Amino acid sequence: MEPIFLTLYVLIWPVIVAGTLFVITRAFLREWLQARREHRKMV
Amino acid sequence: MAPNGVELQQLSGWMVIALLVLFYGGTFIMTLGIGKKKENADGYMTAGNKIGFGISAASMTATWIWASSMYASATSGYTYGISGPIHYGLWGALMILFIYPFGKRIRKVAPRAHTLAEVMYARHGRASQLMLAGSNVVGSLISVTSNFIAGGALIAMLSPFSFQQGILAVAAGTLLYSLWSGFRASVMTDFAQVLAMLGAVVIIIPMVFFAAGGPDMFVQGAPRLTPQQGNFFSSDAFMNQGAPYIAAVLAYAIGNQTIAQRLFAVREDLIKKTFVTATIGYGATIIGIGMLGVMALYVGITPTGGDVNNLIPQMAATYLGPVLLCLFLIMVIGALSSTADADLCALSSIMMADIYGQNVAKRGEANPKTMLLVGRITMVVATGAGLYFASGQMNILDLLVFVGALWGCLVFPVIASFYWSKVTNTAFVAAVSTALAVFIPVRFSWIPVDGLWGLVVDVLSIGGIGVVIGLMCFGFFGGRVARIAGIVSAVVAAPFAFGHLHDYAVLSGSLVAYAVSTGVCFLLSARSKMDFDFSTIKDTVGDFDPTTTAVPDAAATRR
Repeated sequence: MEPIFLTLYVLIWPVIVAGTLFVITRAFLREWLQARREHRKMV
Repeated sequence: MAPNGVELQQLSGWMVIALLVLFYGGTFIMTLGIGKKKENADGYMTAGNKIGFGISAASMTATWIWASSMYASATSGYTYGISGPIHYGLWGALMILFIYPFGKRIRKVAPRAHTLAEVMYARHGRASQLMLAGSNVVGSLISVTSNFIAGGALIAMLSPFSFQQGILAVAAGTLLYSLWSGFRASVMTDFAQVLAMLGAVVIIIPMVFFAAGGPDMFVQGAPRLTPQQGNFFSSDAFMNQGAPYIAAVLAYAIGNQTIAQRLFAVREDLIKKTFVTATIGYGATIIGIGMLGVMALYVGITPTGGDVNNLIPQMAATYLGPVLLCLFLIMVIGALSSTADADLCALSSIMMADIYGQNVAKRGEANPKTMLLVGRITMVVATGAGLYFASGQMNILDLLVFVGALWGCLVFPVIASFYWSKVTNTAFVAAVSTALAVFIPVRFSWIPVDGLWGLVVDVLSIGGIGVVIGLMCFGFFGGRVARIAGIVSAVVAAPFAFGHLHDYAVLSGSLVAYAVSTGVCFLLSARSKMDFDFSTIKDTVGDFDPTTTAVPDAAATRR
């Protein structure tokens, strides 16, 4: 199998992980701010 | 053994102590922010059934990314080559996705439940409940144990401390922040843990890749791979790793209380979003970590002591400098702690709701304060048991597959119980018991699997293929499509599988469990006159704390 394909195959996963981390972090921060505004605990 | 001329890095003892104090101290301080002097029993188990998307997605992702799955994915990459991590991580990710349609159904019929076994009690009765609860106790104890083993092995490899000292440190640290607030602490700390884990994956995989030689590694290391290891469509990888996992995915998703607990905790309208995000997060992380095993294969690393569980720490110790090695340590500690705390919460919920709440306390007299005490004692005892079993250092991958297959006996009876009003308690119990009785001798080859018995195992296994594919389709497309898909897949597989499948004990054991439990459950239920009213479940499964405001009818009915 071509090295370029294998390189992409190895390095694509951290990129997807970074995207997922961004989505989760943004949602968490929004919920945290909302909880602060409403003077309640997040969970 | 590292490649020639490459030294293994180690962290100093004080550095490891500082990192553990930072990690466990930090998570403990996080829990102080949400802690209440008087915790409530329902909050201790499900955090009030209304947590948001950010926390629930983080929690679902963190819980399913356990250290054992990181190690197993890398092992799969090292053993089966480039397709190995896919055959571990992809199916592992799909298990989260496949449960979401079932999860929505379960949540609809029991919106304020704490455990799946508790719902089985309302649906069938005590025997079904205790079967599900018992399987979860075994599964969670194995999970806790394997996470402690992973922590101990990691600390032993990267520091001057011993394996025993390592397992003691992670067990004490996890218990410290989970004990007081239970599930609420677990989901809250999961966010910090997912941040550490996913963040570390983003940095560490490219760093190891370039330190190990970058694209040149694939040119120079290619001769080290067998044709099967170098083939993206390897039949070895599929038959020995992928296929048993496909059979296990549904079982994990349905049987595991850690998933069920998060299913009952998340706001109902966020279930789909949460599960899809966790599927992507888990899949990319675990496949990515599996690439460390693939790289180890290309560069010619031999696992220390012949133990493949040492591969990940060994790759990190070989190719990462001290700073990234610290990050790596935090990543694995985060992975194992988030799952271990989820399992401690699962065990405590089962003991609180299923054992004390519905079997020990007199009907209607479960005391929430006593429940909390039961939950906390359970956590301490489970941690002790995990430490005891971890001392034996079992093979993690074998444990995972075994528990998955064990839960395979439960999958059809559990799912059918939520959709088919004719399923009876007798059908449930007989199906699970019979499947277990057939599964165990097949899985462990107690009876020689050849001759006529081998052919019987093949026929049952082909039936099992149909059941697995049918169930996967059922959640998304309904009964008609599921039946067609199940029959077609069994017919298509039959010519290839008949006469051969019994050679794969792990795979055929799982498939036999599915086939037998489905067959028995179907035959006994089809003739029953039961017509269960699912709307009654929400009236019998509800809150234990009188102060919880929602669904007052449920509490009243219970009492």
